[in-house]
Amino acid sequence: MSLNIRPLLSALKRNPTGALLVALQVAITLAVLVNAAWIVHQRIEKIEQPAGINTRDTFVLVVSGSSNKFDIAAAESEDLSYLRGLAGVAAATVTNGIPLTGNGGDTGLYLHPGERGRLVEAADMSFDQQGLKTLGVSLLAGRNFRPDEIEPYTPGKQAPAAEVIVTQALARTLFPQGSALGKTVYGGTPKTIIGIVSNFMGPQLGTPPYDTVIYPTLPGQYGGYYLLVRTQPGKRDAVLHEAKHHIGAAHRYGVVQYTQTLASAKRQMHSANRNVAILLVIVTALMVAVCCLGIFGLTTFNVGSRTRQIGTHRALGARQRDVVTHFLVEGALVLAGGALLGSILALLIGNWLTAHYALPRLNLAYLLAGILALTGVGELAAWQPARRAALIPPSVATRTV
Amino acid sequence: MTLSEAAMLRMQDISKIYRTDLIETHALRELSLEVRAGEFVAVSGPSGSGKTTFLNIAGLLETFDTGTYELDGRDVSRLSDDARSRIRNEKIGFIFQGFNLIPDLDIFDNVDVPLRYRRMKAPERRKRIESSLELVGLAARMKHLPSQLSGGQQQRVAIARAIAGDPALILADEPTGNLDSLMARQIMDLLEKINAMGTTVVLVTHDPELARRAERNIHIVDGVVLDPASQSHLPQPAPQVSGAAD
Repeated sequence: MSLNIRPLLSALKRNPTGALLVALQVAITLAVLVNAAWIVHQRIEKIEQPAGINTRDTFVLVVSGSSNKFDIAAAESEDLSYLRGLAGVAAATVTNGIPLTGNGGDTGLYLHPGERGRLVEAADMSFDQQGLKTLGVSLLAGRNFRPDEIEPYTPGKQAPAAEVIVTQALARTLFPQGSALGKTVYGGTPKTIIGIVSNFMGPQLGTPPYDTVIYPTLPGQYGGYYLLVRTQPGKRDAVLHEAKHHIGAAHRYGVVQYTQTLASAKRQMHSANRNVAILLVIVTALMVAVCCLGIFGLTTFNVGSRTRQIGTHRALGARQRDVVTHFLVEGALVLAGGALLGSILALLIGNWLTAHYALPRLNLAYLLAGILALTGVGELAAWQPARRAALIPPSVATRTV
Repeated sequence: MTLSEAAMLRMQDISKIYRTDLIETHALRELSLEVRAGEFVAVSGPSGSGKTTFLNIAGLLETFDTGTYELDGRDVSRLSDDARSRIRNEKIGFIFQGFNLIPDLDIFDNVDVPLRYRRMKAPERRKRIESSLELVGLAARMKHLPSQLSGGQQQRVAIARAIAGDPALILADEPTGNLDSLMARQIMDLLEKINAMGTTVVLVTHDPELARRAERNIHIVDGVVLDPASQSHLPQPAPQVSGAAD
């Protein structure tokens, strides 16, 4: 039970099964712990990020056609006229997705013609000149769309936009060295950046949360459209009720499929992130607990099966703290083996998550913290049986039964 | 008994009682004895007489209730657990009936165990291990595991472990109990050799043949030392051993 590790390693080498199994358990637990903690961190970050839009006074009406005779362009125009004239409405537009819900589209932008060079992925939104006001987004540079730039909905052959507005975050992603205003980006056709707006969360489809490009088109898809409406403060519910009633009855071949406030969309988004985080924390805590039980069990077994050896060590001069140290070092060796394997496993899983789920690359500080945390609780788990071993009297050495 | 100044082990009125919820067992009753430095003493007695309790107390493996105990001139009656561990490590070499080698460690590492607790430097430890294994005739088996040795060889390793730290006192608890007579003789020869080199040896045994080879016999019955004057029926020391010790 000396501090020297060589005899301990030699003993572990001769009876490796239990230690190997626990080391494997430590490795799997570490890999899950580190990546789960990293995912939880991302989720919490998402929860804490400001949406950047007015969620309190804004709602969406989803209108869809009940027949292929439904004239989307005419219905959009009619509904916008109605809404913009409705008392209590501050602004309204037609859009292609609902912010914060995952319901929307994304696009790829290039810095060079012919779709060459670096591809930048971004969420895309389409709306007219009232879109920014409806969302409550500020124009930081350049200008808003002019009414004459808005492409109306044309079934089957929507004209490509020549001007776009981008968020500040996307502008920095596209042109980190200088201003993006007036620059051209390519996605099918060239598009000039005419405005830069404050960051806001788009439909959230896995792209960085604030990277959004806005096209000046009135979209229509899947036989319907999204009406985005912002009301004056305190009038949301009344306007929603009235608009839903009116628009539901206004179209012969169209119906209001559903409505959603952005406040509820935000709650749902946070709730989903929170639930994932809670689930991961619970599962990981259980895995760590089971891992600790494994270390506790291994140490308890080792103490139980080596009672006479411990007595002999004590008789030969081991102090109680030498015995405790022996079992803690033995536990640390198993933990170190598991941590080594677990680190490799954690990095592999982290890379796989990055490649398949657009998760940011695993921060190595999390790996280090995971190793320290797991080693700490693992040593705590070994402490109690180690302490019990230290209380084995040296006179056990002379017992013949 | 007259207590001399050169005592290696001096016990005065030692009592030890084992208590459970139901019964009290008086293992030692005001036991007094002395072993002089350099002596080879056999402690014998029937089963349950208190021999092992005496050995445990002599080896500081357990405490006692009343009395005083001096080891190599130092009162060790009321020491802390750490201090007892240190004295066990530095002053006493143990030889157990069941050898008590660590099965997962090779012979070298087994002999190394007490030396590590003394925090000796590696070169000094190696020197001591090699010389003590040389003495017991097992220098060529350093990398063997205990399971690869015979019982007699294992006990010789245990003896090497006991003497590697150069202790003042060897306590041997039925060291030949698990060996055949040939092996037993070899072990006794070895103990006599170690004693001849100046180390005090206390051998606890119930075997009269072995006890006869000691310089002096102490007989314990019911936890007390029988008066030597009343032990005329007990085996007396072999003449050549007596002569050597004087």
